Amino acid sequence: MSAVLESRSLCFGYGAKACCAMPLDFSLAMGEVVVLMGENGCGKSTLLKTFAGLVNPVAGTVALNGRSLGGWTPRDRARRVALVRMNQSVPDRMTVREFVSLGRIPYSGFLDCRSAEDERSVDEAMDLLDVDAFASRPIAELSDGERSRVFLAQALAQQVNVLLLDEPNAFLDIPRSHALFRLLKKIAAERQMGIVVSTHSVEYAERYADRILVIDPNRVRVSCAGEARSQGLFDWTEI
Amino acid sequence: MNRGAVCFASLMSAALLLAFLAIAFGTVEVPFVDVLKSLVEPGGEDVAHRIVWDLRIPRVAAAVLAGGALAVSGLALQSVFKNPLCGPFVLGISSGASFGVALAMLAGFSFGRFGVLGAASLGAFAVTAVVLWIASRFRESAVLLVAGLLIGYFIDALVSVLIAGSAAENLRVYVAWGMGSFGRLTLDAIWIFAVAVCVGLALVVGSMRYLNAARVGDEFARGLGLPVRRARACVLLGASVLAGATTAFCGPVAFVGIAVPHLAFMLFKTTNHRVLVPGVFACGAVLALLAGLFPVSVPLNAVLSLVGVPVILSVLVRGAKR
Repeated sequence: MSAVLESRSLCFGYGAKACCAMPLDFSLAMGEVVVLMGENGCGKSTLLKTFAGLVNPVAGTVALNGRSLGGWTPRDRARRVALVRMNQSVPDRMTVREFVSLGRIPYSGFLDCRSAEDERSVDEAMDLLDVDAFASRPIAELSDGERSRVFLAQALAQQVNVLLLDEPNAFLDIPRSHALFRLLKKIAAERQMGIVVSTHSVEYAERYADRILVIDPNRVRVSCAGEARSQGLFDWTEI
Repeated sequence: MNRGAVCFASLMSAALLLAFLAIAFGTVEVPFVDVLKSLVEPGGEDVAHRIVWDLRIPRVAAAVLAGGALAVSGLALQSVFKNPLCGPFVLGISSGASFGVALAMLAGFSFGRFGVLGAASLGAFAVTAVVLWIASRFRESAVLLVAGLLIGYFIDALVSVLIAGSAAENLRVYVAWGMGSFGRLTLDAIWIFAVAVCVGLALVVGSMRYLNAARVGDEFARGLGLPVRRARACVLLGASVLAGATTAFCGPVAFVGIAVPHLAFMLFKTTNHRVLVPGVFACGAVLALLAGLFPVSVPLNAVLSLVGVPVILSVLVRGAKR
């Protein structure tokens, strides 16, 4: 399997302050779902932002499809990697379809028009996440769960091959969370995407992830989902 | 036909009709035949010609350009600051432009017509820069609005100081300008105003992708690969030029910038700026033409307040319900 995202000796954080003492070597393969875990404030969101190219590494490198993140133009980068955050503010009046359609901005021209191909990928993304039933409703009026799916649909419309999700099940009920993780596994396999998803739930991590990545203040540990528990990756969850 | 096309066609027809009414009727009664004749043969020197070409046509041009420009400026500010209550007037940007004009008129920093225009745009942009700085520090939207209000008061105070030290003749010109009117544009200055509006529009339209993403957030826009800092600077510069040019030629004009984007949302039912920017321009032009139809004795800003205030109150009530 080839790596879509690869970090070498990566120290991540804001400014010169690194979140983690030990540098991180990590590579994300095509079709793989990696769950990112750790205590609040350990730097999960910062790591995801670093992978997305929105925060510069303190030290080390991140490569996307074999080329350093800084080597891509922002537009080309946005065609390959997307970060989905659930605590995003939503604009008044914007409909679901309009929001999902924003995912085509990295492909659109000067006047931000949409081609037939753009419309097709918007349709596909909305169909896959089952949000086409409320396509014309204002996004601000949706429930948190519905909104989470719309955010994900927007990133899928971007047709990236690396998808980063920051606590996507924070606002979802149990059945919807299971459905979401199943869906992530499915799209990772079908679209040959690499997915990194942060969550606080050990249950989902063990059940759906291929690998688990845990950040603690001293080091970052990675392990296959099946061996994570025996290797002590969840020790921090019990006080 | 889609909703956007229907709305556009209606707004265009309304604008043409209102422009025609404004040219055909006015304070001085001119026979309809004479109006038509002077429209067809622009060169004449009789009273009808003078009234149509020196008074009424510049008035219509001023209304269309000022209404459209302020509305687009308001839309751009609302999108960039993600605040439905923003507008060039509320944020003190029009006051900044007024200060530029006051400096040019009262303190003698005048370099002809371009000087006043430049001074107004510069004043507008200076205030926009301050507002942007405040917006980047405080997430609370009310802070921005109160700050805009305070900037407005501060500038009014500065203008008062300028007034105290200025000659009576300059003062008279400045006070008349401060009333806000479409009747001050002259025939030979229309093109300057039009060019300034085109420059402002080009700066705003050039960042269409950013405007669409900015409503969600700047971080979101960056994730979509957009050059946020550059695009934001262009949009704000464009909004300042639009507000500045309007203030230079028509004086301070209230409420168009803040209210029209909401009227356009109600009509076009979209948040896509590719439709909204021209839609808002058309809406602003129609509203300004409508306000221009009122007798000259009623101050322009009074008419606009009658339309603007209810719209803004309804936005507030909508927001409070959330």
